Amino acid sequence: MKMKSMKKVVGPEYNLSEKIKTNVYAVGVAMQESVYPHTMTVFYPRERKKMPDNYRGFILFDPDKCISCFNCSFVCPANAIRMKEAPSRRYYPTVDYGRCIFCHFCIDSCSGGALKATKIHDVAYKDMDEMFTPTEEMIELPEIIREDKKYVEYEIEEDDLHLKRTKGEDYLFVEVPPPIQIPMVSQCIDRASCIGCRVCEEMCESGAISSSAENGMLRMKIDTDKCTGCGLCVKECSMQILMLKLKKFE
Amino acid sequence: MAAAIGAAGQSEWEVAVPEKPLKDKTYFENLKAKVIDTNLCSRCLTCAAICPGGITVVGNKVDFPDYETKCLDCGACVRVCPRFVYEPKSGLGDYIEFIAGRSKRFAGQDGAMVTELLVSAIEMGMIDRGLFAGRDEKWATEMFHVREPEQLAITTLGGTKYTFADVLPELKKAVMFTKRGVGIVGTPCIVSGVRKLQQEYPIFRERVKLVVGLFCTENFHYDDITKFLQEKGVDFSKLVKTDIIKGKFISTMTDGKVKFKVAEAEDIIASGCNVCTDFTAVESDASVGSVGSEKGFSTVAVREENAKKVIEYIKEKGYADFGEADTSQLDFLIGHKKKREENIKRD
Amino acid sequence: MVNTLMETVMSNQVSIPLIEPMLDLLPEIPVLQYMVAFMLWKPLFAVLICPGLTVGGITLLFFPWIERKLCGRAQWRVGPHEIVWWLGGVIQLLADTLRFLFQEVIVHKDAHRPYFLQFPFLSFMIFLLPLLFIPAGTIVAIQTPYAIQIILALVCLFPLFILGLGWASNSRFAYIGTVREAFMYFAYEIPFIIAAIAMIILYGTSDPLLMASRQSIPGIILNPVAALVFFIGAAMATSRMPFEIAESDQELCAGPHVEYSGIAFGLIYVLCYEKAYILSALMTILFLGGGSGPAIAGLGDLSGAFWFVVKTYLVLTTLFMLRAVYPRYRLDQGLKLGWSPMLVMALIGLAISLVVVAVRVI
Repeated sequence: MKMKSMKKVVGPEYNLSEKIKTNVYAVGVAMQESVYPHTMTVFYPRERKKMPDNYRGFILFDPDKCISCFNCSFVCPANAIRMKEAPSRRYYPTVDYGRCIFCHFCIDSCSGGALKATKIHDVAYKDMDEMFTPTEEMIELPEIIREDKKYVEYEIEEDDLHLKRTKGEDYLFVEVPPPIQIPMVSQCIDRASCIGCRVCEEMCESGAISSSAENGMLRMKIDTDKCTGCGLCVKECSMQILMLKLKKFE
Repeated sequence: MAAAIGAAGQSEWEVAVPEKPLKDKTYFENLKAKVIDTNLCSRCLTCAAICPGGITVVGNKVDFPDYETKCLDCGACVRVCPRFVYEPKSGLGDYIEFIAGRSKRFAGQDGAMVTELLVSAIEMGMIDRGLFAGRDEKWATEMFHVREPEQLAITTLGGTKYTFADVLPELKKAVMFTKRGVGIVGTPCIVSGVRKLQQEYPIFRERVKLVVGLFCTENFHYDDITKFLQEKGVDFSKLVKTDIIKGKFISTMTDGKVKFKVAEAEDIIASGCNVCTDFTAVESDASVGSVGSEKGFSTVAVREENAKKVIEYIKEKGYADFGEADTSQLDFLIGHKKKREENIKRD
Repeated sequence: MVNTLMETVMSNQVSIPLIEPMLDLLPEIPVLQYMVAFMLWKPLFAVLICPGLTVGGITLLFFPWIERKLCGRAQWRVGPHEIVWWLGGVIQLLADTLRFLFQEVIVHKDAHRPYFLQFPFLSFMIFLLPLLFIPAGTIVAIQTPYAIQIILALVCLFPLFILGLGWASNSRFAYIGTVREAFMYFAYEIPFIIAAIAMIILYGTSDPLLMASRQSIPGIILNPVAALVFFIGAAMATSRMPFEIAESDQELCAGPHVEYSGIAFGLIYVLCYEKAYILSALMTILFLGGGSGPAIAGLGDLSGAFWFVVKTYLVLTTLFMLRAVYPRYRLDQGLKLGWSPMLVMALIGLAISLVVVAVRVI
């Protein structure tokens, strides 16, 4: 049986002058860097890296703008937002940072513009229970001990990369213009099929739906000025005859 | 569909609130006093279908646990109960055609015409789902939404189950989902419940497109009938079919039959059936039964135009054989049920 | 007897003009005068202060820090930084030593317990022996005409103790590391010795003080090939990149050092730097003129010592900086390097030194 001759794998060949040149160059670079270093590291916490304005960080909440529509809770891909009942019987979101992936879908989907983004990326917790942030802690920025005196940016040029250090504190909260809100109100689309159970009236957080009984007739009324368009009555109507429609202004 | 209901949307509307005989009690308590506790209740479950609170079946009776706190006092149950103001129907009813049919593609109790009617209506596009009652190995009923003919490969969907099936609560759910319409099959009490719903609320008028009624003398509660049959020697694991033919209750098992006179089961007849006078489901779109046609065929009384269209479709497609049906054979049972009018206590 | 002792002591004193005025005041304080005389006695001074324990100790305290900082700079990062951060983390080694002191010395079941615990201390003793013969300027402990040979012989003993460490550990990684160390020993030993011999031939003597005086032109210029060979051999001997084969961190965790913890590991950790210090001192003597340089007024003998230390530190820094530049050789590549190019170059160095001797003599 004839054996096929095996080829030996050889590495690339350099001649001596090339070898010496590359060695000398390498050592030269090391010596140059020792004297004039291009250090890339950031001395956190004495310096902070300047994050771009779109940076997705800690989430802030403004209860005055919240309409309890539950959109943030529904859209959260990680199930990090739970709605909790406040003493005013309205529902406000709480964020579990153990699950939050900082995608900011909740901020994008907030109908009232109540959820806001910040650039804070370094909140620390001592145990897992602390990570469940109740609504009260979401209203203000968390307590930060700011040790940084400078902020650092990377300047990238074609063949050079270095840090630029500027004295001052990087701002953490970014003001974003409120989202365009399309006002919707709840309307009944099949008035004859209403069974008069008044579940919608009970569900309404803003007191927009009211009923009055007289002469064997039950009168239902939706006050479109008070209606915030949260959609809870639409969800709960037993005959499914309520629907959100564009608000008409006279 | 949406345009017909009024997609414009309104902010104000009125609901006609029914009269309360007992003024200081909730509507459910009124219903209970007038219908349930007087044994008028047929267990059609129309009230349970419409109730937003929690009317359900407790044991064998219709009830509302915690009604003191949970009843919203809306009056819907009282509006839709066919026996709150009871006008008993009886007789053969109006019909366009009275024929016998035998489906070529389905197997059922006799000619499988109920299945054929509903499936053909789906194929025609008249409805997008039919509500069938299937049964499990213990012969307890469960409701199915049938959207395609292939689903009827489950043969337990066809055939008579001599016990209650919760058609109306399922109908309410289906009406919320459906896009084209729903078709149902039910006993005369169920049919009268559907007609009351359609009379009160337009949404049921729009969305329930085909109502098939069954010839019915009486019905039994599940626990009662299974206990009775087991005492008679029926083994449910081998049971294949149940029939009531000419006054005899025949249970066909894989290794034999058990027969006894229906009159022996008189004591376990459901209480609401004792005041029911409607044998042929006179309010339905089409009534189907075994009496009036030869063996293997089902009698079909076609009453309304929509059912006529379905029968014509079936004839056109050749899905069934048709034959003669004899109305005189129904006379005895129609009379038998009309006599129950005496049981209704008028106050 | 005390008189003869005092005579020997007083005859061999380190002279430092700066502190002369202070010494003149001393005869008035009796005991202190003797103590100072002892301290300034050259052998004791060499062993205790320079180039012995004090300078060696300072090297051990600061050179790992310098190494880490330099490598960090070359790698675009910072190196040790947080301990006393406004000084740049300069007492990092002190913190490390404190941590080693408080850490538990774990002796695992399979280890050979007596050797496991004794070898770190034993090797430290052996590693410090060459310091007796290395002169810093004119300060030397034992002056003999055979100093270089003795130092070389002692240097050849070093790997045995590393092998001993690995053997006492009795574990797989330690075994592999030890075997690699043994192989590397074969690789560098002969070219290293031939280079040293080349320099001995060049200078015609192996007494380090005479060598220093004969280096009007530093040895590195007279015989660069031998210098290169010696330098690479020193890199191999102290397991510096690119020859960190015995204790490769990513492959073996630490080779022979892997099973040690606590103060035993602390001692072994600085052993490596001690070895580097001694070999750099040797290189300074042989090639850089060890101790020669412009005299600094007022320091007297110490100026020679100062220049010696400066040159040693220069060699050490270069040795350490290579760590940031080169990747690691494979074992067979290292062996091949030791036997093919380095041996040839060592022999060429030998030839060059013979030629230089001939030219100079003629």
